[in-house]
Amino acid sequence: MTETTLQTQELRINMGPQHPSTHGVLRVELVTDGEIVKRAIPHIGYLHRCFEKHAENIDYMGVMPFVDRMDYVASMNNDMGYAMAVEKLMQVEIPKRAEYIRVIMAELNRIASHILAIGTFGLDVGTFTPFMWCFRDRELILDIFEMTSGARLLYNYLWIGGVWMDLTPGIEEKIKEFCDYFEPKIDEIDTILSYNSIFIHRTANVGIISLDTAISYGLTGPNLRGSGKKWDLRKDEPYSVYPELEFDIPVGSGEQGTVGDCWDRYIVRVREMRESLKIVRQALKQIPEGLFRAPIRKVRPPAGEAYTKVENPRGELGFYIVSDGSLKPYRVKAKSPCFTAISCLDEVSRNEMIADVVAIIGSFDIVLGEVDR
Amino acid sequence: MKSYFLNIFKSLRSILKGMLLTAKYAFTKKATIQYPFVKRELPTRTRGQLFCNIDDCIGCKLCAVACPVDCIYITANKKGPTEEINHTSEESGKKPRRFHLPQFDIDFTLCCWCGLCTDVCPTNCLYMTKNYEFSAEKRQQHIWQYGEGHKPGPKTEFNRPGDQLKLYVD
Repeated sequence: MTETTLQTQELRINMGPQHPSTHGVLRVELVTDGEIVKRAIPHIGYLHRCFEKHAENIDYMGVMPFVDRMDYVASMNNDMGYAMAVEKLMQVEIPKRAEYIRVIMAELNRIASHILAIGTFGLDVGTFTPFMWCFRDRELILDIFEMTSGARLLYNYLWIGGVWMDLTPGIEEKIKEFCDYFEPKIDEIDTILSYNSIFIHRTANVGIISLDTAISYGLTGPNLRGSGKKWDLRKDEPYSVYPELEFDIPVGSGEQGTVGDCWDRYIVRVREMRESLKIVRQALKQIPEGLFRAPIRKVRPPAGEAYTKVENPRGELGFYIVSDGSLKPYRVKAKSPCFTAISCLDEVSRNEMIADVVAIIGSFDIVLGEVDR
Repeated sequence: MKSYFLNIFKSLRSILKGMLLTAKYAFTKKATIQYPFVKRELPTRTRGQLFCNIDDCIGCKLCAVACPVDCIYITANKKGPTEEINHTSEESGKKPRRFHLPQFDIDFTLCCWCGLCTDVCPTNCLYMTKNYEFSAEKRQQHIWQYGEGHKPGPKTEFNRPGDQLKLYVD
């Protein structure tokens, strides 16, 4: 057989929606040439729950449980964004104690979310033990949340004007205990996963996002910081009580490969957990006495519009609310960080192996509940 | 050639490191709880199944308004001029009960356990219990009745005119 009679053909295969490494229900259409991916087209919408339209038909307070369900592994951070937007519309000042409780909860939730991201990323690239360890440690944070808010996943704890209830007596010791317990555990994760030579071979120099690409696609959060840009809303456009707290922003530097590869995005998350522990410890020291909720009788903002953005574990989550002065919002629009990350998938995974697409999706740390809303 | 063997050596070393770390955990206490046989103790704020103490309810319907998924169905009939108006208990503020409450149903297939209804209740008669084990075979059995004259529990009769429209019937 001569070379001229051989034919090559591009093959289209579906990855998902039931693929275990798509973190939910994402279908990626892969155009492959042998083992090489030529294009990766994400098809979203399997988890669409009409959040934005639904929010127009319920009162401001009732939107809160639905905001929880957007990014269901970081509910507290979502609540914070929405509550801040409504408070901006109403122009209420919330008590200092409530702000501190919010920051403690948000940072603990950031740790819980990053633990999950690290564990499942490990699982995607083929290691099982860190996944179980991560879930064991995440359980302790969920126990703390269960004590304060009564729920384990969808908390509905940060309310408009403050928080639902004050911290449970004795929870401060519990949180401190957790901080002391968890710090050595991050070292263990470093030993078994981060600096494991097999893991580095699997993730370094894979799925490189250059800084220009990251900015042009609007990536935020650890995905942007992995590409080497020092941009964190908690520092650059501070909200809540973050200016009073000291912490660093870890960025990817291409330690094991190129700047902006999967390993960089991963290690930013690991280092952020240490910073979050720092913030929680400081906040517990500085938390003042006082009210835990501003005395708001009825949530009825005046006509107008407001946009707020907060630093979620996955990036910048924005809420744009238009009010017409009634009890229900006229329009609610959420800007999701996962949606911009998934839009970048095609460009990043071109000319990579099929098995590396799994690592790339894992390193983006997407939650489909937030992509589709 | 040298880097090839170095690579093998590095990989083996990191496997060994991980193995040593995991071997340590073989001798520690297990983290798993064998659920149906061993149960965790739940904290006091646990948001489990809703319960309504109908003797303290004044029929204000604030909970039904606050509910974002509209899973609380209340029928409140005003008492006649000759009927006696009793009061709620001491803890809930001795408020007058001006309504007959033949229907106070909660549809647990819809409930999202947000706790908004319990916060607005002026007499604290609606609260969340620690119960989370109430699986049932039919969807109908998840509609619980707490109204006057009914034993709190899954609804058995679906004869009121509104029932057929609002509630699931398999």
